[in-house]
Amino acid sequence: METFTHIINGFAVCLQPINLWYTFLGVFMGTIIGVLPGIGSSAGIALLIPVTFGMDPTSALIMMTGIFYGTKYGGSTTSILIRTPGEAASVMTSIDGYEMAKNGRAGAALAVSAIGSFLAGTIGVVGLTLFAIPLASMALKFGPAEYFTLMFFALTAVASLTGSSPAKGLLSTILGLMVATIGIDLQSGQPRYTMNIPEFQDGVGFVVVVVGLFAVSEVFRGMEGIFRGTAPQMIKIKGKLWLTREEWQRSIGPIWRGGIIGFVIGVLPGAGGTIASIMSYTTEKRLSKHPEEFGKGAIEGVAGPESANNSDTAGALVPLLTLGVPGGGATAVLLGAFIMYGIQPGPLLFQNRPDLVWGLVDSMYVGNVMLLILNLPLIGLFVRLLYIPSGILYPLIITISCIGAYAINGSMIDLYLILFFGIVGYVFDKVDIPVAPLVLSLVLGGMMEQSFRQAMTISGGNPQIFFNSGITITLVIMSVISIFMPFILSRFKPFKGVPLAEAD
Amino acid sequence: MAERVIFVCTLLLAGAYFWATENLPSLEIGDPLGPKAFPRLLGAALLITAVFHVLEMIRARKSALVAQEKKDPVDRVSYMVVGGVSIWTFLFFLVFEWLGYMIAGSIYLVVLMSVFNKGKWLMNVLTAVLFSIGSYLLFTKGFGVNLARGLLPF
Repeated sequence: METFTHIINGFAVCLQPINLWYTFLGVFMGTIIGVLPGIGSSAGIALLIPVTFGMDPTSALIMMTGIFYGTKYGGSTTSILIRTPGEAASVMTSIDGYEMAKNGRAGAALAVSAIGSFLAGTIGVVGLTLFAIPLASMALKFGPAEYFTLMFFALTAVASLTGSSPAKGLLSTILGLMVATIGIDLQSGQPRYTMNIPEFQDGVGFVVVVVGLFAVSEVFRGMEGIFRGTAPQMIKIKGKLWLTREEWQRSIGPIWRGGIIGFVIGVLPGAGGTIASIMSYTTEKRLSKHPEEFGKGAIEGVAGPESANNSDTAGALVPLLTLGVPGGGATAVLLGAFIMYGIQPGPLLFQNRPDLVWGLVDSMYVGNVMLLILNLPLIGLFVRLLYIPSGILYPLIITISCIGAYAINGSMIDLYLILFFGIVGYVFDKVDIPVAPLVLSLVLGGMMEQSFRQAMTISGGNPQIFFNSGITITLVIMSVISIFMPFILSRFKPFKGVPLAEAD
Repeated sequence: MAERVIFVCTLLLAGAYFWATENLPSLEIGDPLGPKAFPRLLGAALLITAVFHVLEMIRARKSALVAQEKKDPVDRVSYMVVGGVSIWTFLFFLVFEWLGYMIAGSIYLVVLMSVFNKGKWLMNVLTAVLFSIGSYLLFTKGFGVNLARGLLPF
């Protein structure tokens, strides 16, 4: 009953005019970021952090979460019209969505994508509402050892499931943890790896790392594409932005199934929207009466994956809000935003700040309605963004990234760092090292070390503490399984040769 | 070739990290593990990753079934574009505080747009200047963010 009251109070928070405005701003910017190449949800959220200082934390977090799920809507537009996923998770949408567009059904593809995203996004938020409290109650039993093994599991899952090589995923993870050790050690006051640079005493800011790795490196790739003349061609929208009766009947099942698949996969760390959309696509192909149409413009191939990758965002918020442990790059940036506002997500947040948690969760119901309106009648406006010449767009993105980095501390070091991490991100992409694990481990690194040292202090230096409880043993076993998961998946036909790299 | 370079770089990085960790002054008061324990674990994990990488290289050579994503090759174009943009961005940062965001940003953008959006001078110059002024006003007056003023008095 108390939870129900909190949920209702959450609506009172999110329906305040100021929060409605920030929800709108978040989903609006999210759609634009999803449509445009170059920024993506992680960098988009990170860039906004400096400009939201001084704002009410609830409003700021509502806006940033709006960007997170808004980008998924925008990402499908480029998948359908130019066969270039605005978000990695939209990769499956580009297969049949682009074929539908070529067949003159771009309007129907965009419509089913928006409707599917709305329905599945709402299914996901209902799941988040239902599962958050039980999981948060369970998390109250967690001590430092449990938290350490939980973070260890999140990192191994992301490292092994992101990208084509588990070793490279692990390398990226450890590099992120190493970067996290730069700065003053909070327990001993000892500076570590600062190279006598005063700015490094506070550590390397995750905003500059995220913006460099995701936005600047993407600009480098885009500029290279302009030089090579490999920029994609766009198909114009023809026909009504609505579905025929037959298309609607064929889509409703995939939308529901995609919504459920997406939510379940989203809760698991590391899996993310890409795997959710692949699983939805293969499920629909198996269940379809016309499997031969897949790859040639089957509407189920758009409805299912697009629904799955939207529902996945709500699922991804479950571990973030209830355990305080993100399962991917974008949620790691959101965790960083929470921490910068002095808010620690986790079970106690549900007890201490129910207004914030439920205001945020309930704002997603409202945001999904706003996104449906933005992405159906107003989709033509967003499509116009694709007409901006890339040669104009990329320089603007790199400049916005610089403003965002400089705005945090007014420090020139941060500018040089985004350039450095931009080059690192570009090189990593060329050699197939995923960057999402690096971001996740950078954000979790400090907490992970703290939990490790606290646990070891409690046990008097005996590492057996990590195998003492049922929770830690389960998490260690799950970590080991996650390391071997890529080998299992590689034997599973739909995942053969599919790059699982998550852009965000 | 790239895989071997990654392997060697991983080993070098692990060595450098171990060396830097061992050179940290020890102030282990009230904390039995001290600031070196976790970094030592990371160094060891990096070495294990290098071994893991070698095993993957051997497995890939044997099976030759590794999924290769279609990517642009790294060649002269890559070095030229990424190197050129990086150097130009570095120069932009060098004069950023001296010239100020509006002047430095306008020059930076005009040059980049002239290279990547060739032949459209008017569009490029107008976009660069208007964007620099507009974003400066938005961030400084709208969001209260400090950006370098440089030579300009406002």
